Amino acid sequence: MFRRKVTLSKVMIGFILSALTLSMFVPIMNLIARALSNPDKVHLLHGYEIWPRGFSLIHFQVVLSNSLVSKALLNSLFITVAGTCLSIFFTTIAAYVLTRKIVGKTPLMIFLIIIMIFEPGIVQEYMVIKDLHLLDSLWSMVLYRMINVYYLIIMMRFLEEIPVSLIEAAKIDGAGHMTMFMKIVMPLARIPLLTIGMFYAVAKWNEFFKSSIFLSSRDNTVLQVLLRQFVVERDSSALIGTADLLKNNNIAQLDFSSLKAATIVIAIIPFLMLYPIILKHYTSGVMEGGVKE
Amino acid sequence: MKADSKLRRIWADKVLYLLLLPCMAYFIIFHVWPIIGMKLAFYDFRIIGDNVFVGLKYFRELFSTPIFLNVLGNTLIISAMKLFIIFPIPILFALMLGEFRNGRFRKAVQVVSYMPHFLSWVVIAGIWFEFLSPSTGAINELIKALGFPAQDFLTNKESIRWVLIASEAWRSVGWDSIIYLAAIMGISPSLYEAAYVDGGSRWHIVTRIVLPHLFIPMVTIFILNVGFIMNAGLDQVLNFTNDSVNSKIDIIDTYVYRVGLVNGQYSFATAANLFKSVIGVILVLSTHFMAKKLTSKGAW
Repeated sequence: MFRRKVTLSKVMIGFILSALTLSMFVPIMNLIARALSNPDKVHLLHGYEIWPRGFSLIHFQVVLSNSLVSKALLNSLFITVAGTCLSIFFTTIAAYVLTRKIVGKTPLMIFLIIIMIFEPGIVQEYMVIKDLHLLDSLWSMVLYRMINVYYLIIMMRFLEEIPVSLIEAAKIDGAGHMTMFMKIVMPLARIPLLTIGMFYAVAKWNEFFKSSIFLSSRDNTVLQVLLRQFVVERDSSALIGTADLLKNNNIAQLDFSSLKAATIVIAIIPFLMLYPIILKHYTSGVMEGGVKE
Repeated sequence: MKADSKLRRIWADKVLYLLLLPCMAYFIIFHVWPIIGMKLAFYDFRIIGDNVFVGLKYFRELFSTPIFLNVLGNTLIISAMKLFIIFPIPILFALMLGEFRNGRFRKAVQVVSYMPHFLSWVVIAGIWFEFLSPSTGAINELIKALGFPAQDFLTNKESIRWVLIASEAWRSVGWDSIIYLAAIMGISPSLYEAAYVDGGSRWHIVTRIVLPHLFIPMVTIFILNVGFIMNAGLDQVLNFTNDSVNSKIDIIDTYVYRVGLVNGQYSFATAANLFKSVIGVILVLSTHFMAKKLTSKGAW
């Protein structure tokens, strides 16, 4: 492009960037390595190593056979999948309606912006969930923050770009709003739907504070809440099970940090699977780096 | 006559309104209802019978409670530290990355550095606890190698706020650099070439060509971040806090949660929360209009 020769400053910049990147790459890879290491050798694994010592799936087996973890995993999956589907559907419907020329659009938009910037109190949110009899129900977390006004506005910006002629043509062909929505709007909005859906999914999957308040029983707990118990509160009995701890059997002798690592890895696997899609769609422009001429 | 035609238009679009109905029901139940419920800040909560109106009693109580003043201070200090210290980091990151226009290195840096943005604070706390561990953590290995005693940054009142700043920077640097990187990538190569032909140094190119292109996103993002200073990072604090340092990083959100949902002082907690929400609205609105005026780009 310009100046191809390697200069000292470029080397230094490369060094700084590498150090920063390694500070992210190494800890994450180290967790995966720790979870996959052979239990007999895992104590040899240093914090900066990214390759497992030996190989064993025992930590994953123990963690997943723990009924608390498997239940929490299923609950998290349910909340994320159901929540994201509802969120995407209703966000797009609202965006579709609000981009038509309807009476009362301006007051509706002002209402939504007030909703967006005025945060309701946590005590009141708790009481609403309680009044709806949704306390300790997974549906509380499915419905909580179902429509994000900010994403709704992004979606509206996109739908405004759909040529009016397309919609007019469908109208002439006798398409009702529902048909138009399902047959024209949804397919055209594929890319923003995917982007917004991904943000909704990440938020649902990662939410732990509201989950810990709204879902009180152990049967309805989610992965992040459980993870917090293991990782932040360092509660080993919940992870290994008191029975095994008392017997001090093989399971109790497993390295707690490896079990913790295995749980964290389980919690980030869905994200790791989605990550390539995220990169492809959301950041494609920046990733390709081609200069727009 | 005019009202009549409006009604006719509404009737013609009845399907649209019907489609909007579940969305509006959601907003009213999950947003309007709790917001109206915040009037509890002006009432005494009664389990049996009607709540009793007490005016500003709880607000007076709030501002004479030293703990609240402490959490208000903590919120503002932590937010200000994040605002000023973290703000330039993604810009520098994008500038550095812009030096590597093509090739695998830049892509690898991007793929890895965007990742922490998607991790929950529970997971990040797990990673950072290992990272900062006095016995086995990488930082302390380094400190010990240099001949100093190991430090436990997580239980030290002096360092805990810096742990919050550092972990937030670690989480957001890559993702937040996207907008700046996009602006840098959008600069036409002919501008660089012209500067190069004119004998401009790299420093010259960065200050005279690149930075002016980053001005609008910089101003917008900075101003909009000011709008969120009442949110110092609830999820982060909840995961990084412990008894020895809580007084340093206890923020309004954690305080409201503790006083309201744990201790059950509903009215008092609501007063604190309402104070926070109202200041938040004022800040977001004023910063939005300010950003719009300066750069013609607002928060929405």
